[in-house]
Amino acid sequence: MTDTKIAKMTAKDVHVFYGDNHAVKGISLDLHQDEVTALIGPSGCGKSTFLRCLNRMNDTVATCRVEGKITLDNEDIYDPSIDVVQLRARVGMVFQKPNPFPKSIYDNVAYGPRIHGLAQSRTDLDEIVTVSLEKAGLWNEVKDRLDSPGTALSGGQQQRLCIARAIAVNPEVILMDEPCSALDPIATAKVEALIDELKGRYAIAIVTHSMQQAARVSQKTAFFHMGDLVEHGDTTDIFTSPKEERTRDYITGRFG
Amino acid sequence: MTSSAIFLILVLLSLVSFAMTRQKALTRAGGDPAKLHSLPRHYGYFAATCVLLPSFFAFGIWLIFGKSIIEGLIVSGLPDRLFEVGTDQATLVLNRIRLVVENASSPETDPDILAAAQKFNDLYIRGIWAAFALSVSFGLVGFYLASNRTQPDFRARNKFERIMLIALALSSVIAIATTLGIVASLLFESLRFFHEVPVTEFVFGLHWSPQTALRADQVASSGAFGAVPLFAGTLLISFIAMLVAGPIGLLAAIYLTQYANTKMRKIAKPMLEVLAGVPTVVYGFFAALTVAPFFRDLGITLGLDIASESALAAGIVMGIMIIPFVSSLSDDAITAVPKSLKDGSLALGATPSETITQVVLPAALPGIVGAFLLAVSRAVGETMIVVMAAGMQPKLTANPFEAVTTVTVQIVALLTGDQEFDSAKTLSAFALGLALFVSTMALNVIALKIVRKYREVYD
Ligand SMILES: Nc1ncnc2c1ncn2[C@@H]1O[C@H](COP(=O)(O)OP(=O)(O)OP(=O)(O)O)[C@@H](O)[C@H]1O
Ligand SMILES: [Mg+2]
Repeated sequence: MTDTKIAKMTAKDVHVFYGDNHAVKGISLDLHQDEVTALIGPSGCGKSTFLRCLNRMNDTVATCRVEGKITLDNEDIYDPSIDVVQLRARVGMVFQKPNPFPKSIYDNVAYGPRIHGLAQSRTDLDEIVTVSLEKAGLWNEVKDRLDSPGTALSGGQQQRLCIARAIAVNPEVILMDEPCSALDPIATAKVEALIDELKGRYAIAIVTHSMQQAARVSQKTAFFHMGDLVEHGDTTDIFTSPKEERTRDYITGRFG
Repeated sequence: MTSSAIFLILVLLSLVSFAMTRQKALTRAGGDPAKLHSLPRHYGYFAATCVLLPSFFAFGIWLIFGKSIIEGLIVSGLPDRLFEVGTDQATLVLNRIRLVVENASSPETDPDILAAAQKFNDLYIRGIWAAFALSVSFGLVGFYLASNRTQPDFRARNKFERIMLIALALSSVIAIATTLGIVASLLFESLRFFHEVPVTEFVFGLHWSPQTALRADQVASSGAFGAVPLFAGTLLISFIAMLVAGPIGLLAAIYLTQYANTKMRKIAKPMLEVLAGVPTVVYGFFAALTVAPFFRDLGITLGLDIASESALAAGIVMGIMIIPFVSSLSDDAITAVPKSLKDGSLALGATPSETITQVVLPAALPGIVGAFLLAVSRAVGETMIVVMAAGMQPKLTANPFEAVTTVTVQIVALLTGDQEFDSAKTLSAFALGLALFVSTMALNVIALKIVRKYREVYD
């Protein structure tokens, strides 16, 4: 497939090893601004692993080794001169299970801006928190109880709180690892609407096990299998006329 | 016939009954175990317990009461001549008899005592044979009954399970009863103490000097029993100990859980556990012979007046002793914080140290507080180090360079050496023990409450 636009993030021939386990085998994939890329594939095929390479969260796993080249705005993120902390502020992540900090709703969202010194004053911070919660579609539900603990929210609200927390640091890329797998259909719909909302401003990659979700929210889809990137391209193409046998089998539910 | 021989015979008896019943169950089932309700060995277990329990019961009764019954018999048969001096003489006479019984070459010459000892021996031998016969017959009856019930449809497995259940329950009852007994005796003796010394003096008195009254008419035979200096000393030393153990233990736990690699952890954790396994008396002489003189000499060079036995030395060494305690409990609290929280913070671009101070530690805080409280109660109850390094002076001071004393040390001092058992001095040890028990128990309860509450949040 051909890309005319300049990619926000590119991965070139990325290999990941957990000790001797070769989990990701030479994946090349681009993420674009204004686009949602869905990563699909059977369990254990390396979707999360690949995603976690993009903000170097794999550094926290002692046995993990990454090879290949990943760039953000043409900068190699595995270059020794790169500040990982800064990188993660630019590439935000939302996890499969909502993981709000045991702090107030306000402090959850303010956490990132505070450590990065994004707000000059309390009013600035209030502004950031409000805007982030609004973008995450949570503002109306929590505006009267910003002081109550984030852990006291419902699962769907918690997940949107985590998204608000991620966008509060003003990232350029947002990685989501099965953000809806712990949510009911209504909360899922809200998060999907939110992703749609967000796609204009951020490059988004989302891992999902739901074909429908991938079809609904993404413009690009990448199908992973056993650590290989089998096929990737426009979501409509992948779902209507997959080129590969394995892709077809997977999206029609014949294996996986 | 000795007790251990009888014990062995009873065990053998139960083994035999196990084997026989097992065989019998098989035979009754026509050699086909599938026809039995339970496995053959369950019939065996059942029979073995049916033999062991009653026979041990009988034998246990003999072990517990046998001697005193015989002694009672003998004392009542002694001529009045031996009891002239007073009623207390009974124990004395008994002791003389016991001496002869235990040691044939004792210098006892009184013919009545010798005769009594002879009689004791006779009775004892007869008694032990009787006990033997009784317990074996109890065992045989048990075997007979169990053997009779060995039918294919007998639910030996369930019955045996029930017996085990009762045995387990009994064990825990014994543990609980012992605890209650200890507390009750503490309470009882403390009450006796408070008859002689008012509670208010004990709790608020600033002066502690329990006198040794060798004779009742001695001057100043009753001392001062104000426990405040002791508790102050205890608090001072525990405070110093926590100043040492708190930060070091916590920081060590943070390092081990957050920064150290697996290899480092594998080495460091067992090392810390070794530190926890060092007997406190070793810490004690380390404190007394190395640390305390070091501080004294340091004081001399700095122009400070540091006693050669100081609260400082004892507190620091005690702190070292409880470091592993603090670190391993904090370690648990920190590792219990879900990794997802840590990842969440890191993914927002927080540095590891920001993540630890702002997310991990606050989340682990209740557990850490619990760990500290448990450590304090350890420090409060610690004795040996203080005995050896902090001195014996019940001084009311906040100066860590002076010698102080603690509750536990005073209890040791009060109860070692020759004492009149019901003097106020001796009884005061029980009051101190009670106070110590209540305070450490309160600390433990609070600490465990906190720790448990916090566990529930994440589990
Ligand atoms: N922390 C880790 N340590 C060792 N091996 C790991 C680790 N995380 C993942 N793996 C291995 O890497 C491979 C890919 O795992 P990954 O989590 O990326 O799969 P996934 O596609 O996200 O699956 P799922 O859909 O179930 O989330 C698996 O074989 C897994 O066992
Ligand atoms: Mg995954």
